[in-house]
Amino acid sequence: MSPTRRVSAAGPATPGPGSVVEVTEPADRVQRPPAEVRYADELARLREADTAARPPGWVLSVQAARRFVVGDSKLGISRKFVGDPSLIDRALITLATSRGLMLVGEPGTAKSLLSELLAAAVSGDSTLTIQGGAATTEDQIRYSWNYALLVADGPSPRSLVPAPLLRGMAEGRTVRFEEITRCPLEVQDCLLSPLSDRVLAIPELTGPEAMVFARDGFSIIATANTRDRGVNDMSSALKRRFNFETVFPIADLATELALVEAEAAALLRRSGVTAEPRRDVLEVLVTTFRELRTGETARGDSMDRLSAVMSTAEAVSVAHAVGLRGWFLRGEPGTAEDLVSCLAGTAAKDNPEDLAKLRRYLAQQVTWRGGEQWQALHNARHLLPG
Amino acid sequence: MPVTFIGVRHHSPACARLVAATIDELRPAYVLIEGPADLNERIGELLLGHELPVAVFSSYRDGERRHGSWAPFCAYSPEWVALTHGRAAGAELRFIDLPAWHPAFAGRSNRYADAELRYAEVMERLCRSFDVDNVDVLWDHLFEVAPADGSAERLAVYFDLVRGESAAGEADTAREAYMARWVRAAAAAAGDRPVVVVTGGFHRPALVSALALPAGDGAGGPAWPEVPALPAEAVGGSFLVPYSFRRLDAFDGYQSGMPSPGYYQELWESGPEAAARHLTESVAARLRERRQPVSTADLIAARTTAAGLATVRGHRHPARTDVLDGLASALVNEALDVALPWANRGTLRTGSHPVVVEMVAALSGTRVGRLHPATPAPPLVHHVNAELERLGLDGADELDLDLTVPADRARSQVLHRVRVLAVPGFRRDAGPSTGLDPVLRERWSMRPDPARLTAFIEAGAYGATLADACAAVLAERATQAGRDVDLLAGVLFDAALSGTAQVSEQALADIEATVAAAPELGALGRMLAVVLTMWRHDRILGTAHSATLGTVIVAAVRRVLWLAEGVHGQSAAADLGRIGALAACRDALRYARRQLGLDLPGALEVAARLAADGGAPPDLRGAAFGLRWALQQTSSPDPGASPANAADGQGEPALGAPAAAPSTDPPDPVRAVRGAFQPDSAGDWLAGLFALAREEVLHTPAVVGLLDELVSAMAADDFLIAVPALRQAFEFFPPREREQIAGRLLERRGLAGTGRSLLRGVGDPELVAAGMLLDDRVDAVLRREGLTGGTRD
Repeated sequence: MSPTRRVSAAGPATPGPGSVVEVTEPADRVQRPPAEVRYADELARLREADTAARPPGWVLSVQAARRFVVGDSKLGISRKFVGDPSLIDRALITLATSRGLMLVGEPGTAKSLLSELLAAAVSGDSTLTIQGGAATTEDQIRYSWNYALLVADGPSPRSLVPAPLLRGMAEGRTVRFEEITRCPLEVQDCLLSPLSDRVLAIPELTGPEAMVFARDGFSIIATANTRDRGVNDMSSALKRRFNFETVFPIADLATELALVEAEAAALLRRSGVTAEPRRDVLEVLVTTFRELRTGETARGDSMDRLSAVMSTAEAVSVAHAVGLRGWFLRGEPGTAEDLVSCLAGTAAKDNPEDLAKLRRYLAQQVTWRGGEQWQALHNARHLLPG
Repeated sequence: MPVTFIGVRHHSPACARLVAATIDELRPAYVLIEGPADLNERIGELLLGHELPVAVFSSYRDGERRHGSWAPFCAYSPEWVALTHGRAAGAELRFIDLPAWHPAFAGRSNRYADAELRYAEVMERLCRSFDVDNVDVLWDHLFEVAPADGSAERLAVYFDLVRGESAAGEADTAREAYMARWVRAAAAAAGDRPVVVVTGGFHRPALVSALALPAGDGAGGPAWPEVPALPAEAVGGSFLVPYSFRRLDAFDGYQSGMPSPGYYQELWESGPEAAARHLTESVAARLRERRQPVSTADLIAARTTAAGLATVRGHRHPARTDVLDGLASALVNEALDVALPWANRGTLRTGSHPVVVEMVAALSGTRVGRLHPATPAPPLVHHVNAELERLGLDGADELDLDLTVPADRARSQVLHRVRVLAVPGFRRDAGPSTGLDPVLRERWSMRPDPARLTAFIEAGAYGATLADACAAVLAERATQAGRDVDLLAGVLFDAALSGTAQVSEQALADIEATVAAAPELGALGRMLAVVLTMWRHDRILGTAHSATLGTVIVAAVRRVLWLAEGVHGQSAAADLGRIGALAACRDALRYARRQLGLDLPGALEVAARLAADGGAPPDLRGAAFGLRWALQQTSSPDPGASPANAADGQGEPALGAPAAAPSTDPPDPVRAVRGAFQPDSAGDWLAGLFALAREEVLHTPAVVGLLDELVSAMAADDFLIAVPALRQAFEFFPPREREQIAGRLLERRGLAGTGRSLLRGVGDPELVAAGMLLDDRVDAVLRREGLTGGTRD
């Protein structure tokens, strides 16, 4: 997920020298409108310029949908997803065929954002969403009943309350299923016949209404994160009906650094910090995150990975916290010392072993690089708690 | 003077087709080809009728620089097609590029790597504007699957664009200037007959504009340029060797050309549609062979997806990555650990999904080239035969070599080099098997083998001399070692036996990478011990103070310290492997610190943390404490201190006064021993301590006394628990030192007798156990009856 507009209202009333910046609310007061609202004008422009053939039931052609995600400078379409363009191709083609699309990957790799963008591009609507969880039931996926009407009239289309899957099938739209592996296995399996036979039976009804046949345009985008592997694995029957796409963390340091810098700077401005984050500190931060995430240092030493999630989104929030510390404690941009303090909160969140790994990393894998900030990071290693 | 320039991408079927069509149509007088000009006399050799792929291998050696490089040809190489079609059209064929030994090629091992890839930034921008993953995808999109008409113009535009945005490097400029002279000369010689020039597309714009310039009639006139002669002091040459698709696909980074030769061969032979079908088929067949399920439904899905992707990406037939993406979508039913290799150019990484591995293998193909029998044998063959003859090793024989005799040592080296090249008919029956055993004799048996010549011809691709070829093979093995330290140790030992002291920088980097990724302390420690010994003393094999081994030692010490700090488990029993690793580390720090610049304060800091880490296993904590003690206490190492330096005779640099004392407090052994003495872990802890700081313990009476005190104070049950581990710990002392300790114990208690008698032990342990049991029972009875008065001693 990209960082949202949540603002931690920490800090003293007078934040250092310079102007006092008020935290203001956006005009529309919605914290985070869905993608089709945020990018309504881009979608409209794409639709206008779209001449290619559209798959049945889609609001855009595949090519236009692709441009919506990977960007197109000619039409003024922003690049919304940093990653291999071929991943987007495969995802869109999968949605046009009869298999579901399963986005898997580490937490914080923008899977949900990608699923939202794809749904907005394909169906013009990303709100048919099922949020998977331990308590998710079939009712929340397929349909349930309005019990007052059910008791009064008996089962009828009037008393039926459609859930996202039923609506998606009946209206020919894209259904999103977030964190599918957090659902119990038997609940997941209710997707089997909608995916293979493209039909959902409502045995309580009779006549033609007892079967809902999927209209053109219906498809499912599920997301699952690899840290949940083994919590509730998927049945192989269901796996067969999905095409798996693994979303990887950003492959290249420069791209990730630029993204973290931009996002962190925006967050800091919103938090009333006027000092820009220091690029050398950010570089140390992003490199540290990447190495702890991949378990490999720049010179090739392999290490144990942290069990905590070291995603780009986490890097942004640490960069934000570093900036806040520096500014509100000392009135300057964050330093490597701040970074160590903040890392402890991210890396050792729930796990003393991670803290030990982090300590070992700071002690042994940092100094060989030379560079002032790396040295400062090494020297600040005693700031880790415990 | 019509000159047609075709800028190609090396190993591109689309370019090869264009070259063929152009030559067939124009029937030129001259076909000029980017290739080593020193081979012009011998172009006939190339056209003898080999089975492709083959390569021109060029080697060069002078006082400062040694270099080997390949110019590979396969059936669909534009350069190859230019040769064959040019010959068929009756044209004069000329290679026009600088010889491979020229400094312009320094550091390059593949002549036909694509020049434009060295200008990565431009290519990245281009890919970004087409929204494709990488250059290979872009290339397929623009040329390989695109219709053939207009491809010449498209190629020209593409390369003008690439070239227009980047200034060529110095080496490229030198080559282009040389090639331009050939073009000018050929144009003049041809008169009004056509000339076709086939070069890397990156060079084309420069050549075109060079020809357009008015030729400086005097100096740069239309005479054929002379071929630069080898510098007088250098040796080198070019010759044909058989090649393989596997090696063609193994170039990485800037050296790489088009990937996937198996696929492009198919594309060349039967077009994109058939190539796509063939790729799907061979992947499915390979997977089924390996009992991976591939259902018909999967294949339909793969086919549909590939077709869909092709449509979206604007391809008439599915391109390479369309098929691959389709197959991956349909066949990979779980999360990947490593990104798809065709998305980010590069060779296959460890951890790739098995389906992906098979897909890449199918792309690579298994084709292996073979030379026509009439081809002159590569120089290695002559060189080897001469060497063997010179040393009298060419017949069937049994040899017994004494490695301390220089002549025998030389013969042994040659035999080992031949063995490393895997040439049949040479067998070593006995000899040193690790760097540690003091075996100084070797026995070899040799017999003629019909496969010997073939093996030498194949090995000819690795180098022109036995030593070069052996070094290249060892470098390849080092690269393939991956994370396996034992394999690497084998390579290093083979290098020592074969007298291969110099390895390439690439190989050295690979070796470092293997060490840096080593997962296990024990194996790493074993290797470090061997390498350290070889580095310190090996006069016979000549490895003493070799730079390669020095690099390995530095990397291994770093890695041992890193791994040691990551071992957890409080109750784990003593592991001699990891204790040995720390001991090897101690020796390295003691004897090689100055020369190799090892970081002693850093190591001591790690040891201090480790010794104090409650989560670490006791043996490792003891060993870490011992490491600190040994390295801080020792001010001048006693030459007899460690078994590893028994043969040392050259006065290693002494450690001197403890340099730059780290911030940690100096170790206090008495306190540490007391703190670590828990009945269930004391033995393990002491095993670590004794292994690392045996000398120090022996010379610190307070510690021996304390141990005596602690062991005596143990309750009988605790003692029984502790005794096996304690016994193991004291094994680290050789008998003479155990005797010393025993003597000191007797002294401490004021008892007469010798340590030896105390150590002699008891005849029957069962009897002792029965006696102890009886004692315990008597004690219990006495206690029950309230009769315990004095102490039991």
